[in-house]
Amino acid sequence: MISRREFVLGSGALAVAVSVPLRSYAAEKAGGGDEFVTAYLEIAADGRVTLHSPTTEMGQGTHTGHAVIIADELGVDLERVSVVTAEPADPFRRNGQMGSGGSWGVRFWYQPLRKASAQAREVLVAAAAAKWRVPAAECVLEHGEVVHAGSKRRAGIGALAAAAAALPLPAEPALRPRSELRYTGRNVPRVDLGPKVRGEPVFASDVERTGMVFACAVLSPVFGGELEGFDRDSINPVPGVLDAVAVPGGAAVVGTHTWAAMRGAEALKVRFKPTPHDSLDSATISRQMRAALAPEVSAVEARRDGDWAAVAKAAARVVSADYEVPYLSHAPMEPWNCTVEIDGDGVIHIWAPVQTQDRNRNAAAAAAGVPPEKVRLHTTLLGGGFGRRLGSDGIAAAVVTARAVKRPVKFFWRREEEFGQGWYRPAQVARMEAALDAEGHVTGLRVRTAGPALSNSFSAQGLPAGQLDGSSVQTIRESRYKPSAFLVEWARVDQPVPMAPWRSVGATQNGYFLESFIDEVARAASRDPYELRRELLAHDPRALKVIETVTKAAGWGKPLPAGRARGMAFVESYGSLCAEVAEVSLRDGRPVVHRVVCALDCGSVVLPDGVRSQVEGGIVQGLSAAMGEAVRIEQGRAADRNFDTYPLLRFTESPERIETIVIESGETMGGVGEPPLPPIAPAVVNALAALTGKPIRELPLSRHSFA
Amino acid sequence: MQITLKVNGQVRSIDADPDMPLLWALRDFLGLKGAKYGCGIAACGACTVQVNGRAMRSCVVPLKSVANAEIRSIEGLAGQHPVQQAWLEEQVPQCGYCQTGQIMQAVTLLEQNPNPTREEIRAGMEGVLCRCGTYPRIEAAIRRAADAMTTKKAGSP
Repeated sequence: MISRREFVLGSGALAVAVSVPLRSYAAEKAGGGDEFVTAYLEIAADGRVTLHSPTTEMGQGTHTGHAVIIADELGVDLERVSVVTAEPADPFRRNGQMGSGGSWGVRFWYQPLRKASAQAREVLVAAAAAKWRVPAAECVLEHGEVVHAGSKRRAGIGALAAAAAALPLPAEPALRPRSELRYTGRNVPRVDLGPKVRGEPVFASDVERTGMVFACAVLSPVFGGELEGFDRDSINPVPGVLDAVAVPGGAAVVGTHTWAAMRGAEALKVRFKPTPHDSLDSATISRQMRAALAPEVSAVEARRDGDWAAVAKAAARVVSADYEVPYLSHAPMEPWNCTVEIDGDGVIHIWAPVQTQDRNRNAAAAAAGVPPEKVRLHTTLLGGGFGRRLGSDGIAAAVVTARAVKRPVKFFWRREEEFGQGWYRPAQVARMEAALDAEGHVTGLRVRTAGPALSNSFSAQGLPAGQLDGSSVQTIRESRYKPSAFLVEWARVDQPVPMAPWRSVGATQNGYFLESFIDEVARAASRDPYELRRELLAHDPRALKVIETVTKAAGWGKPLPAGRARGMAFVESYGSLCAEVAEVSLRDGRPVVHRVVCALDCGSVVLPDGVRSQVEGGIVQGLSAAMGEAVRIEQGRAADRNFDTYPLLRFTESPERIETIVIESGETMGGVGEPPLPPIAPAVVNALAALTGKPIRELPLSRHSFA
Repeated sequence: MQITLKVNGQVRSIDADPDMPLLWALRDFLGLKGAKYGCGIAACGACTVQVNGRAMRSCVVPLKSVANAEIRSIEGLAGQHPVQQAWLEEQVPQCGYCQTGQIMQAVTLLEQNPNPTREEIRAGMEGVLCRCGTYPRIEAAIRRAADAMTTKKAGSP
């Protein structure tokens, strides 16, 4: 463990370790206990408060959440607190890795940050009390000062930090009552927005180093392809071009500025080695996945409640439908880039927009053939992540280029590489079956999903044969619906297409499968889809409250103008329960989303406006995917390589109104970055099906005709 | 070749390829990092700046076409523009990468149409993509800025 001292930037500072228990999936499976990730809360001699944290800020507002928790519990003004992403080091690691994901940012950090801040407060107060020879109980810490009202003495926390650092930290400090919290639960401005609104250089792509050159990647368009060779002379006519370098997966063309490097990349005559999948296309992948839906194809069981076979046999009828979704690109607005500079001691400095610091640092070290200690990774703010920056596929080429040209290098991908290199949300199919009795009650559900294993593609160790890929059944396996039989299984259909978690991960496709199917079942049984869900959730007051709240606010069952319909969906993910109702019509054969009402039970809330912001963003991104997103695969590569054929949702297609209702149930705090996304696709699909009477069993909606 | 540009009221001279897009002159030659690269084909709007008062996608505007033009980038707003104030009040950005383009598009929209309807705002902002999904807040911020600018104008002698 790193000692306190290593985080003390100046003398006379107080540093408190923040210990956060994060149970890893592996540890959970092995029946193991919590692992601890640490951050360091530093109170400097000038009174400034800094959290050195392993968390990454990619727009989700985590750093503001942490600053608010600290400011409140410690007793300082919010402006005094800053949160910085630390360089990778042991205390910040979980499973040997430092990274951000899983909507952990606030929910797992809330209590530990409060405790550490309270510990700091108690030793600061004790230091002042000892100095003034008054009882600590008569002193308070407010606005960054310890105050003794009786003697009207006051001292800033900076001046007390050195004395406080010599005191033992209390094991169980008293937390402030809610009435003393100034920021928690209120609308607090985000700490990172001023520079973003002023256009200040905060992103990796804005990093400048003296003597820096620019390197544009030319990578194999076929997934996983390797360089065969290139014609070095082909770039000579381009002004400003300096060199071309062979890198993992292709080449990099180096120039004195971005445009020179881009022009050089266009001019470079490059050849790639053939791969076994040079003719792979989307139709083949679809056919292979659908073939694995057949019962005789072996599958891994993920959930077995009751006896599906018996329930199906006894059923008055069995409703069945097959669904399919395509690969999706994360498409963060900032294409991949990083800046590499090797200093006089051979230490490799990298400024990069990454969510997984160790994974990237290790990849950089391996590429350079140096131990990881020789790599210093500086995490900038991210121009979007959504899971794409969990990968490390862009860093080795940057390091190789910097070593070759022996100058600081800004290495970048064009948008075409950002789309083309993959690491997509998996394509997947599902066969859904429901057993109904004569009264139209659901007595059983059976789900088989089939597709490539995300965990095999994304994790270094892969997924052994016969094991379950959790995300392929995510949210269905854990569904709160409790018919008397519920069977869930998954059939593996590996593909050579790289995949990574995409915001909300398996809940994106599985939420759509299950929730669209529930509406199909309701139609088949001539039942109201809300009433059917109520029946399936009758045992679960918390879930019932969520769907009751959203339908009441949305006016479920009340008349709508002609040509409009409502659809609803309920999906739980990352510890939060989320239900949405969408109000939809058709204009010129295209769906128009007039209104979305969202009810989110995330337990409790630190930043109400931050939650609303994440709900809005999740709904817009989820609607974007549902409306038009798909990575089409042709000849072993992505056919869609820019926004002209991979359409992100534009302003005019955005919902006209989004209303967010946050339910503070007081249950364990859940995530908010991901849970609002999955329900929107099925809510819109269900509204469209209500309008047209036709189910929608494939996304995106742009593939369907609503004329 | 030597090209003279007028950026944010200042005359700047650079030695560059006349076919180079304006975006790279701003970012790599003039150190103005506010405009962003997103697509290179005028499809995302992250690079939006004003040229003679019109919103342009600087990733496809060749330098030779703007040699005598008035160019205005986010830096020219100096953080003081009512649109920037409204952006903070509505807490618009998430990751923030597209927001300088959004703001320059919004400033242009309000200069051309000081009191836009909701449909005009949505149509006017169509060309700038946001992956984080901040559209609802952008709409609210433009409405707020429009109100603030109209009130200010009405109140001045």
